Amino acid sequence: MPEQMLGDNREWLDSLVRKSMRTRRRAFLQKTGARIVFFTALLLVWQLLAAAGFWSELLFPAPRQVLDALLSSIADGSMTHAILSSMKRLLVGYSVSLLIGIPLGLLLGRIKLLDNTLGTLTLGLQALPSICWMPLAVLWFGLSEASMQFVVVMGAVMALILAVRDGVKNIPRLYIRASRVLGATGWKGYLYVILPASLPSLLTGAKLGWSFAWRALMAAELIYVSAGLGSTLMMGRELHDMALVVATMLVIITIGLVTDRLVFGTLEKSIHRRWGVSGH
Amino acid sequence: MPKVLLDNVTKVFLTDTGPLQVLNNMTLPIAEGEFLCVLGASGCGKSTLLNLIAGLEMPDHGSVLVNGAPVRGPGPDRVVMFQEAALFPWLNAVQNVAFGLKMAGVAQKERQERAMELLRLVKLESFATSWIHELSGGMRQRVALAAALALNPEILLMDEPFAALDAQTRDQLHVEIESIWEETGKTIVFVTHNVREAVRLGTRVLLMSPRTGCVSREYPIDLPRHRHLEDVDLVRIASVLRDDLRAEVEGSGVGDA
Repeated sequence: MPEQMLGDNREWLDSLVRKSMRTRRRAFLQKTGARIVFFTALLLVWQLLAAAGFWSELLFPAPRQVLDALLSSIADGSMTHAILSSMKRLLVGYSVSLLIGIPLGLLLGRIKLLDNTLGTLTLGLQALPSICWMPLAVLWFGLSEASMQFVVVMGAVMALILAVRDGVKNIPRLYIRASRVLGATGWKGYLYVILPASLPSLLTGAKLGWSFAWRALMAAELIYVSAGLGSTLMMGRELHDMALVVATMLVIITIGLVTDRLVFGTLEKSIHRRWGVSGH
Repeated sequence: MPKVLLDNVTKVFLTDTGPLQVLNNMTLPIAEGEFLCVLGASGCGKSTLLNLIAGLEMPDHGSVLVNGAPVRGPGPDRVVMFQEAALFPWLNAVQNVAFGLKMAGVAQKERQERAMELLRLVKLESFATSWIHELSGGMRQRVALAAALALNPEILLMDEPFAALDAQTRDQLHVEIESIWEETGKTIVFVTHNVREAVRLGTRVLLMSPRTGCVSREYPIDLPRHRHLEDVDLVRIASVLRDDLRAEVEGSGVGDA
């Protein structure tokens, strides 16, 4: 009612605010409730199937056994060790990918000659699943940390280069013209305009790169057995310890979800706050 | 010596349908402190004229002189204000205003003070920390104006800066740009397709012809300052200009004005 808005009808406004908060809370509860019901049902079905005994316990562990395997592997430090080893490899490989991918992507987006040569090569290598580098990597670096990190870098860096390049190419012409007018030329243009303007695509690329790196690492660890989550999976297979295998899979899922939500989710929110949700 | 001199300038764009000669042996002196409005249909080369002075584009023939020296590229003495506010979404309002100063190497504290001062001038000091997408179209153009003024350019080049704004906001900005011009004595080149806006602001109005690629007519505007868009004299002059503009468009068979 417009006449009420004109007066200082605080009560009415407050009731509006309360109403919208109630609606939002209800939507949140509905969403969470549906999830809880779904996953409880899933767990229940799993438990029932395990209890029914169609398959051997060795092939199809019950939820309880998985939980036990998870807790005991954490208690004896083996799971924690595996997580830390994998994360260390991932972080090292991923950092190297960022250090190579971002500057290369920025250059490719601006320099035609580089894009026509290196860009095409990158596009080609992007089509190669990075685990296919493993045989070469083993020949070059031996069965070592280096060869696994090489595979991780090859997984992440192509996606990063291409995403940053596309981000730079799609920077509105207006920004480039404005930056020239305002004196942002040469390295200043790269640092203060091209890099920040391509941040949304850079983040998309970083996220994609991270998930490629994560997959590449797991594949590499499955092949080359040392400490690590992938190796723990292989160990579980060899020991016929399916509970440990499933527990490790759950850990891998959890790590993936946490990084996606916490790290990339937070960064995306901060970009949305600045750019507005639309992007540009 | 004129502040800006376009000396026999020709500019050709190569398009898919063949070469398009936008400016054709155009000679145009612009005096210091002049408020020059350039009027013309779409595609008549008025934005190209601005880009040449800005140094964003180079003439194919002839030369563009500013203070007697040929333009070799963009410079802090000539700042462009674009139709769509050229503000960076990763910076807030005050950081946008201070951007040019940062590029010029001005110290953080000084550029912050100067930027806040300019935001006060355009009446937006309370929005200093707002992100660009949170501002309305009129507010964005105000921030863009403050950002353009931050470098204290001798020449302000405005490319249809108010075309996308509603009538009221445009009126306000006309008052503001006029008072800034009066106080600072800057040379302003203002491109528009709005006839009354050109007569409202300009000391001189140029009519550009898409047919010949140069100035077809020019009109000195001697009306007293602080004009209103509804003034009888202004409307009378504007209607003459409008007829001439229409004749140009019809004669050329292009344009959509």
